[in-house]
Amino acid sequence: MGILVDNNSRVIVQGMTGREGASHSRAMKEFGTQVVAGVTPGKGGTDFEGWPVYNSVAEAKAAHDANVSIIFVPPAGAADAVLEAAHAGMPLIVLITEGVPTVDMMKAVQEVKALDAVSRAEGGQGIRLIGGNCPGLVTNGQAKVGIMPNKIYTNPGRIGLISRSGTLTYEAAKLLNDAGMGTSTTVGIGGDPVIGTTFADVLPLFEADPDTDAIVVIGEIGGADEEAAAEYIAKHMKKPVVAFISGRSAPKGKRMGHAGAIIMGDVGTPESKLAAFAAANVPVADTMPEIIELVKKALNK
Amino acid sequence: MKLHEYQGKEILRQFGVNVQDGKVARTPDEVRQIAREYGQPVVVKAQVHVGGRGKAGGVKFSPTEDKAFENGEKILGMDIKGLTVNKVLVTKAVDIDAGVEYYVGMIVDRNVQSYTLMASAEGGMEIEEVAAATPEKIIKHRVDPVAGLRPYEAREVAIKAGFKGNLNKIADMMVKMSKAALERDAVLVEINPLFVGPDGIPLALDTKFEIDDNAMYRHQDLADWRELEAEHPLEIEASKYGFAYVKLDDGNVGVLGNGAGIVMTSLDVVNRAGAKPANFLDIGGGAKAEVVYNAVKLVSKDTDVKAIFINIFGGITRADEVAKGVIQALKDGILTKPVRMRIAGTAEDEAKALLAEVGSPLIQMYPTMFEAADEAAKDANAAEGK
Repeated sequence: MGILVDNNSRVIVQGMTGREGASHSRAMKEFGTQVVAGVTPGKGGTDFEGWPVYNSVAEAKAAHDANVSIIFVPPAGAADAVLEAAHAGMPLIVLITEGVPTVDMMKAVQEVKALDAVSRAEGGQGIRLIGGNCPGLVTNGQAKVGIMPNKIYTNPGRIGLISRSGTLTYEAAKLLNDAGMGTSTTVGIGGDPVIGTTFADVLPLFEADPDTDAIVVIGEIGGADEEAAAEYIAKHMKKPVVAFISGRSAPKGKRMGHAGAIIMGDVGTPESKLAAFAAANVPVADTMPEIIELVKKALNK
Repeated sequence: MKLHEYQGKEILRQFGVNVQDGKVARTPDEVRQIAREYGQPVVVKAQVHVGGRGKAGGVKFSPTEDKAFENGEKILGMDIKGLTVNKVLVTKAVDIDAGVEYYVGMIVDRNVQSYTLMASAEGGMEIEEVAAATPEKIIKHRVDPVAGLRPYEAREVAIKAGFKGNLNKIADMMVKMSKAALERDAVLVEINPLFVGPDGIPLALDTKFEIDDNAMYRHQDLADWRELEAEHPLEIEASKYGFAYVKLDDGNVGVLGNGAGIVMTSLDVVNRAGAKPANFLDIGGGAKAEVVYNAVKLVSKDTDVKAIFINIFGGITRADEVAKGVIQALKDGILTKPVRMRIAGTAEDEAKALLAEVGSPLIQMYPTMFEAADEAAKDANAAEGK
């Protein structure tokens, strides 16, 4: 089953005919994802490697009963692409694009939340944005809506994975795979300062998922997402959660690639994150392989 | 992109903020000229991209033209935290004791997914110090990114912070600062001190302004303001290649990998191995041999680097491409320091075969990041006689 995506997901790709959009459309199809159509304004009515291409999300959604959109639109148009999908009523929007201006993301995230609230108030399924600057999400053996390498997500397992970092998601998924555990759903939430979905937004979905037994949270320095997650875990989670924090030795005040990974004063320090997880009884691995030991321990309790 | 004080003030002025008059000088003679023009005491302020200018002697009150000239001589050419002062801002002096100094600022706050407006009656100080010692003295307010800051919100915040003076004018200044932040894609904007004189009118005496690099494409009019000489030379070279690169102090191991998360973790692993990372270098995804070659070239130029640790988890990135890049650097004589690599993923076996063919002790591959980091740390420490 997994959360958010499965083999019933009907996916459209915004920016399918671009270089990234094209190669990842193929990779998602190879994984087994139901990629049903592409959207490239101006190329509506054409065919791209067997996929019909539409001028707008609304047209593609209506024609294919699509319920997920993945976006590979360049930074300047990315937030607009998110809003197009949200206004078309797309329940799940995954923004892969890196380098979207923060002000654009602030505005887009706010509008998506407002549309989500309206949709729910009207009895609809809501609208959720994941990303930007994220690797997407994958439910092993069912569907991938993202850019992760296919071959490390072969074994369906029962560990949920949430991460702010792309490469560390792959690293953790491979470790879990090699340890014979495997993942249920992996959600890369993205490393930008303003993103659509946070750790604390994903945790309840795993808590409710009958196919997930434990959750691994891969955090990093900067921001207070991990602290918020720890608070949520302490209050609401019954399933065990194990954490890892990247960048614990990074110097203060330096921006480490991810726009979000910067320590400002005492906010977002490794110490505050470790303390928050300790207070929530969440074990934190010192190294990535240690995650496996901690998960095993948590499951045996 | 960080802006100088005078540049930040120029932007605030464009948005209608009442800013302290000032002019930029590059020579002591120019400083004297401006002081003469103003005909009143001036303040000479170093324009460099670091905090703590005042404490370093980079800000000097100058009651006379001669004193201004003398201070200009002292400050121009001065070294503040490794950066040379090439220009100063000469401003009209204000009788600080006659009024009060406040703080207002806006920062991108991921926790509220928008800007947070901050205000404090403890102006003139580093806000981080106020936040650490007396966080209750900073009033925070989320700014709606679509509507922007409304005057009534600004007044409410000013009242809560305990601001005295013409509240409407103070709130108006905050609203204009907020407009500047939203329209100029600020990551951070501060007016500190915000000086309120005996007339109750607010005046911006100093500002910090930093623009979102992702949004620079729509601020081409400010592109000339980017000063490469104010950045580390290797950081400039790295930006030409499109790498995310950060030079770190006191390090001896060069660190490179594909993705911010894995590179941050690599720094942690090097520390655990008993050495110090000399840099952070993210080569991005899907790197070809040439990109790796350039990355190795860049890191090798850093004389602090005694060994290089490469940590790649390849999905799109192919291990053999990484190996090819490193081998080419060796062949060209660029690589003279040991490279310890862990490359997991696509084409791992091809990479091993290529390295075996070359058979250089300088380049070794290890099955885990820990082993590779341990070896790099050992090599680096040995080279330093540790």
